[in-house]
Amino acid sequence: MSLCARCRLSCLGQNLRPRQTTATASLSTKSSPSSTAHDILSKPTWSVSSLLPSESHSAPEIITPSQLHHLLRLSALPLPKSPAEEQSMIATLQSQLQFARAVQRVDTKGVEPLRAIRDETEAAVKEMTIGLEDLEEVLAKETLVGHYQRPRRAKERIESDAENWDALATASKKAGKYFVVESGKKAEAGEP
Amino acid sequence: MSRRSVGELSRYLLEGRISQRGCINGRRLSSRTVPVWSSLRPPYALRHLHTQPEPAAAAASSQPIHVPLRKQLKEQAKQAKKQGKKKSKGDSQTVDGWELTVGIEIHAQLNTSRKLFSPAATSFNDEPNSHVALFDVAMPGSQPLFQKETLIPAIRAALALNCEIQPISRFDRKHYFWWDQPSGYQITQFYEPFAKKGHITLLARDGISTEDGESVTVGIKQVQLEQDTAKTLAQTGSVHWLDFNRVGVPLIEIITEPEIHHPRTAAVFVRKIQLLLNTVDSCVSGMETGGLRADVNVSVRRTDDPSKKLGTRTEIKNLSTIKAVEDAIIAERDRQIRQLEAGGVIAGETRGWTIGSKETRRLRGKEGEVDYRYMPDPDLPPLVIGNDLVQRLQTSLAVLPDTELDKLVNHYGLTPKDALSLITLDNGSRVQYFYRVLALLESKLQAELDIADLPEVKSYSTLAGNWILHELGRLTTYKAGPLASGDLSFTQLGECAQVSEEDLSQLLYHLYRKHITGKVAKELLMAVYLGELEGGILEAINGNDLWFKEISQEEYEALAAEAAAGEDKVLEEFADEQKYPQGKLMYLVGKMMRLGPTERIDPAVAENAMRQWIERFHGR
Repeated sequence: MSLCARCRLSCLGQNLRPRQTTATASLSTKSSPSSTAHDILSKPTWSVSSLLPSESHSAPEIITPSQLHHLLRLSALPLPKSPAEEQSMIATLQSQLQFARAVQRVDTKGVEPLRAIRDETEAAVKEMTIGLEDLEEVLAKETLVGHYQRPRRAKERIESDAENWDALATASKKAGKYFVVESGKKAEAGEP
Repeated sequence: MSRRSVGELSRYLLEGRISQRGCINGRRLSSRTVPVWSSLRPPYALRHLHTQPEPAAAAASSQPIHVPLRKQLKEQAKQAKKQGKKKSKGDSQTVDGWELTVGIEIHAQLNTSRKLFSPAATSFNDEPNSHVALFDVAMPGSQPLFQKETLIPAIRAALALNCEIQPISRFDRKHYFWWDQPSGYQITQFYEPFAKKGHITLLARDGISTEDGESVTVGIKQVQLEQDTAKTLAQTGSVHWLDFNRVGVPLIEIITEPEIHHPRTAAVFVRKIQLLLNTVDSCVSGMETGGLRADVNVSVRRTDDPSKKLGTRTEIKNLSTIKAVEDAIIAERDRQIRQLEAGGVIAGETRGWTIGSKETRRLRGKEGEVDYRYMPDPDLPPLVIGNDLVQRLQTSLAVLPDTELDKLVNHYGLTPKDALSLITLDNGSRVQYFYRVLALLESKLQAELDIADLPEVKSYSTLAGNWILHELGRLTTYKAGPLASGDLSFTQLGECAQVSEEDLSQLLYHLYRKHITGKVAKELLMAVYLGELEGGILEAINGNDLWFKEISQEEYEALAAEAAAGEDKVLEEFADEQKYPQGKLMYLVGKMMRLGPTERIDPAVAENAMRQWIERFHGR
């Protein structure tokens, strides 16, 4: 994850907004024509260590224990067992945030989020399009019903190979044909 | 002789006093249809239990000793109004000084054969966990596979809601941990839904709150595709049984703008959506079977608040009946107002409603959107919908309920209320039955009459509508009695098992042509319903000589004169032409009916004869 983000960071380096006084300023280096490759490489312009907490950074973000617990619950992770563990979790989170905030500082205005790498050519989009041709067959099976001849889907029993496995075999606990789960004394998360 | 007097019945109904002469129900057996049936006499055998020999009588007006039932009811209503003790629902639509704002989210199960992202079958009440693909239970390595046919009901729904179909939409993950969603997230369309910017118009005839006037248009913000969750069966203790047949079944979520301001209107909105989705075949099971669920967002603000900012809203989840929508909104609005008037604040939270309760209850603090950690689903390509598909579905879209209602009202002459009942009854089958009966009735009229003589459609379509709604409805009100065979059942195509369209149209044809009286027709209908007619309508009429032999015009006139005799005081009231006393006229017509051979009198003709007699009496 961090590697990937770093790659993207350096790719997007040109767009980095110099909000932070450290490191970022040197990113937009303009090397003089006289500089050699050796000159450029001898002095690093940016270091991954700038993403780690250090003295030069402003104080870490405050995270309250209740915020921590909330996040743990949302992620279905176990709560800390001792104040010491709680403190160490908060410290970890703070250092992770240092990194996350740096990523968030990247100016992405006008940049479409990359959801996945796909073929985005016109031909590919055309191929992806679900059109009349794809569904003509299904529509042809419909019947027209009643005074106004409204289309109705014909009910048919369908067989699906995708169902040909024993889902219940994966259950650690079952009752007849049902999966069984036990809830805690009080459901705190809850379905939305 | 076996007939109950109106007075006795009203004592029973209104005051709960039981007759000294034995059980009313038991006696009703022998005289179920008090005034109506009595015109049929033996040898008309089908009412073999019916032994009453004397002619008709029996209209409430013929019992001068007793205060008529209708009058008593009126009296009671007046009393209740005076006391004003029970606030009816009509009064609870508004609260002085406060404005209510409601937004609604409706989840509807799409009518498809497969799940949204797996080829497993959708099912209802099948063996638990029998339709589960690997992806449905989030087996590692399984991938979502969008099922194209889901688009058909989804796009139809969006078109019926006047939405703009988006050529490109995308799927997102909404994260939360709960056992009914094995992957830890639900796939939905949060950022880019497939349909936006729709609207539906609710009309007065739909039953909206009177404060909303003739019509109100509710904006549809968006319609999105998403997955259903597994079904949980709570067991005793903390144990839950899970059926994953439902997980991944395609849903649409319809989200309105917060534009509804009255509880009744919100309920009507949900009902109309249900009817609409059913009409276009998008969602075939209603609220009662869990095919449709509504969440409502409720907030209140003071009407004199200059900022006009909406108050903090609470969300009431999972309302499963139309009535619950209205009741829950009223309860929640009143709770919020109480809270604010007491100087409190409203917490944004999720609340629940139990049918029949008076208060909503807190379920949990509202998760902020951020808590769901929405993110684009990287496993799913964008959903690209072809314009040719949208065009086809638009042009072949089913005739919508409002269009059908307009025609039933304007062309067929039904009242808006009757028209609405007709298309909603029996899940839309009753109105199909209406069209079938009407077509047969029409062809019978055409066969008998010259084209030039054909009556206006309305004259017989209203008759058919009336009988199919009200007279057929009356049949089943006897279902508690031992003679009834149960409810009427209709097929989707509008065939009725108990009263065939052939029989009813034959009956209505003779009634319309005045070959038989209304009373005889009702009697025959009951016989058909009970399966007592062996040879059909025509044979029953012939065999029992039930043809209407109307008295002559001269006899009508003689009866009118006879009825008017000794009624000088009543007749005086007709002197002023400006204020025509219709009630008094009907009193005199009633008298004519009693004086003459009732079964040979057409009330409409009698009324006319009486009216003319009075006109002559006053020299007009």
